[in-house]
Amino acid sequence: MNVAAGLDLQSIPDRIQAEVQRAIQRSIKGVEYFASSGPSLGSTPKDILHVRGTMNLYHYRPVSDEIYRVPILIVMATTNRGYILDMVPGQSFIEFLLKRGYDVYMLDWSAPKPEEKSLRIEDYVLDFIPDCVRRVQRDSGETDVTVIGYCFGGVLSLLYGSIFADGPMKNLICFTTPVDFREMKLFQNFSDKRYFDVDRLIDSVGNVPPEMILSSFEMLRPASRAASQVQLWENIWNDEYVKSYRMFDRWAIDTLPLAGEYFRQITKDLMWENKLYNDVMSVGGRKADISKITVPMLHGVAEHDHIVPYDAAKPLIQKIGSTDKEEVILKGGHVSLVAGANAIKRLWPKLDSWLCERSI
Amino acid sequence: MADKSNDPVAMWQNMIGEMEKGFNAFANKAMESPEFSKVVNQVGGVSAGAQRQLGDMMEKYLVNMNLPSRAQMASMAERLQGIEGQLNEIKALLHQVHGNSAAPEAGSPAAPRPPRTKRPPSAGGEPK
Repeated sequence: MNVAAGLDLQSIPDRIQAEVQRAIQRSIKGVEYFASSGPSLGSTPKDILHVRGTMNLYHYRPVSDEIYRVPILIVMATTNRGYILDMVPGQSFIEFLLKRGYDVYMLDWSAPKPEEKSLRIEDYVLDFIPDCVRRVQRDSGETDVTVIGYCFGGVLSLLYGSIFADGPMKNLICFTTPVDFREMKLFQNFSDKRYFDVDRLIDSVGNVPPEMILSSFEMLRPASRAASQVQLWENIWNDEYVKSYRMFDRWAIDTLPLAGEYFRQITKDLMWENKLYNDVMSVGGRKADISKITVPMLHGVAEHDHIVPYDAAKPLIQKIGSTDKEEVILKGGHVSLVAGANAIKRLWPKLDSWLCERSI
Repeated sequence: MADKSNDPVAMWQNMIGEMEKGFNAFANKAMESPEFSKVVNQVGGVSAGAQRQLGDMMEKYLVNMNLPSRAQMASMAERLQGIEGQLNEIKALLHQVHGNSAAPEAGSPAAPRPPRTKRPPSAGGEPK
């Protein structure tokens, strides 16, 4: 060992050889990358139970010999596609739940059409979610339903649960769900009331274009896209890395537009007036007070979430009326909390151990 | 084995990671200012309006060229998905009507559902 340099001189030829091999592999795989399509995502067998406009209700086919009594309805965030929870076999949250014996349904969204620009929070909370819950009840033959909401799907689930506090929701699980919108500091600044004319925007575009949603997410970490492309090039010889990169990249750019009126309400009621946190939120004239929710509740939050910072999600556990409630803070970010290697070893087993006892 | 702190590849990767973090932190700081919000919203407002106009123009152009627009293709794909869903419902209904007289394919919508009798591992002693 060359002590002065701290470098093992004997290893240098091996290292050079390995780097040359990788450089050759990069050239070969780089061509393959552009010539091939990415992995097929969201392929866990499912049946489409109902489609109405932007709303899609799926039922995933059970794989266990016996299943828990209480079915699960996953409410996806309205900005993104539900296949983040069903990437590829071995890395699918849905597949994990099915193998652990749960009966799984998902309320997923497709892009709202121009004629759906007038959809409001009311449509999501008082119509779409209750409609799906009824269909899950009918299809499963069970009255109780566990609701899992991811990100803004969690906000919609909270609004639904607080208005329909008498049931049929049996358990509520939220992932990275914001409650105190003042703490979403960068989004607050992007939508600063003094400069952001939401009325003018919605009146001119109808539905908020997906490019705008995507760029507002990317602006939170402006260097990350360029850095991830450098990392991709470095690791392009590594098939597993490339597969994972393509899955997450495809999902991240597959952002959905948002219905104009819905976006206008979110901006005014939640971003500007913070009504959910201030306990003055109402939906279609019905008060939505999250302290009315008393069912068992689990909130999974990520330590390094740049989209929903922990301070924005933290008050949920304090405000909810449930006595059986738990917050788990796990390593990871907004997406790695629910999908990928981090989620497989952290969130999913935790959720299973919490939910199995409450699903009988 | 080479010391990681002197490994040029590890140093390069580390540098990229640090640059990313540093730039993100710097940009986030800048984005917290009201001036940033003002400029972004001025530019954003103009570009959203322009984008809408461009979209409308493109739509008209494609209609004149007798070509489908992106929105029409997306709508077509969603309608196909809807038809697929309805076909599945009809299939499930047909299986119900026939009272499972013909054995359904494994995994088909009408395949018998497993019983809802599963107990948690701690209650039933089942290993995870």
